[in-house]
Amino acid sequence: MARSLGEIVALVDRDAVRDSLPLLVPAVPFGFVLGVEITNSLMPVPFGVTTSWTVFAGAAQLAMVTLAGAVSTITVILTALVINARHVMYSAALAPTFAIQPRWFRVLAPAVMIDQIFALSIAKTHETPERFRRYYLTCGALFFSMWQVFTIAGIVFGSAIPASWGLGLAPALMFAGIVVSMAITRPAVVAASTAVVVTFLTLELPNRSGLLVGAMAGVAAGFLVDRRPVDE
Amino acid sequence: MSNATAFLLVAAVSAVTYLSRAGMVLLLAGRELPEPVTRALRNVGPAVLAALVVTFVADPEEANQGVTAAEAIAIVAASGVHWFRKNLALTLVFGMAVFWVARELI
Repeated sequence: MARSLGEIVALVDRDAVRDSLPLLVPAVPFGFVLGVEITNSLMPVPFGVTTSWTVFAGAAQLAMVTLAGAVSTITVILTALVINARHVMYSAALAPTFAIQPRWFRVLAPAVMIDQIFALSIAKTHETPERFRRYYLTCGALFFSMWQVFTIAGIVFGSAIPASWGLGLAPALMFAGIVVSMAITRPAVVAASTAVVVTFLTLELPNRSGLLVGAMAGVAAGFLVDRRPVDE
Repeated sequence: MSNATAFLLVAAVSAVTYLSRAGMVLLLAGRELPEPVTRALRNVGPAVLAALVVTFVADPEEANQGVTAAEAIAIVAASGVHWFRKNLALTLVFGMAVFWVARELI
């Protein structure tokens, strides 16, 4: 038993744990909000809880349990599709890194490709395939397991964290930090700045689709000023 | 909502979510990508994360629409700390502290 535990501990990437923990803090109130909404939803509670296992996407889950029963089923599915559309970009951006990974990883790992894990792992694509895999899977296991805990805690304890703390700002703070550390090339700076401006101008679009418009405008602008060779 | 409808809804959204995350990875694996595509993909990270920051801060579905001065100051402060220290825990603590102080002062 001790040996198998030791083997598991040996698989854990310490950097991944260190990087994930601060990003897990803001997930606590989010999980609590979701738990409360699952309790209030017209969808039976066991199904609401299941979404944390099978969907594992906070914003889409929240929209789903809030809308379920209130609007048509197809509208709920389409809303989730729009909210999750940014994952297609994550998937495309990580595809070259995943291409040199084993097939089981390519099939399983996307299941936990949430904003936080994308943000952390896109900064590790230069690592060896083994190191990247260990880092990604450690982050994935942490976020996935803790998300289940937070969801259940939300159902049991309700909204225990006061909204006045403003912890909703926390993911934005950390993502801003990650963007700044990634913006070391001119195309990256242009991409990030354009995305900020265009997203801000399109905030009123329904279902947060301004996020996609802004992101795509950023990618396009970065592309236009990018003169670096591809293998750089 | 009936159990059958709930089951269908959860199954459909789960499938849609997985496909959005795995689609490109499985589709592009083992293929040589055209140079312009590789070039464009390099900027996806900074662009999407920057767009997410704006969406998080100025969520139109939130009560306090738009970006407050305290939020903007906290974002700049957190970015600055992360640029120098590359430590996410420090970025979070410092950014939130700046936000709480700025919120009281402004």
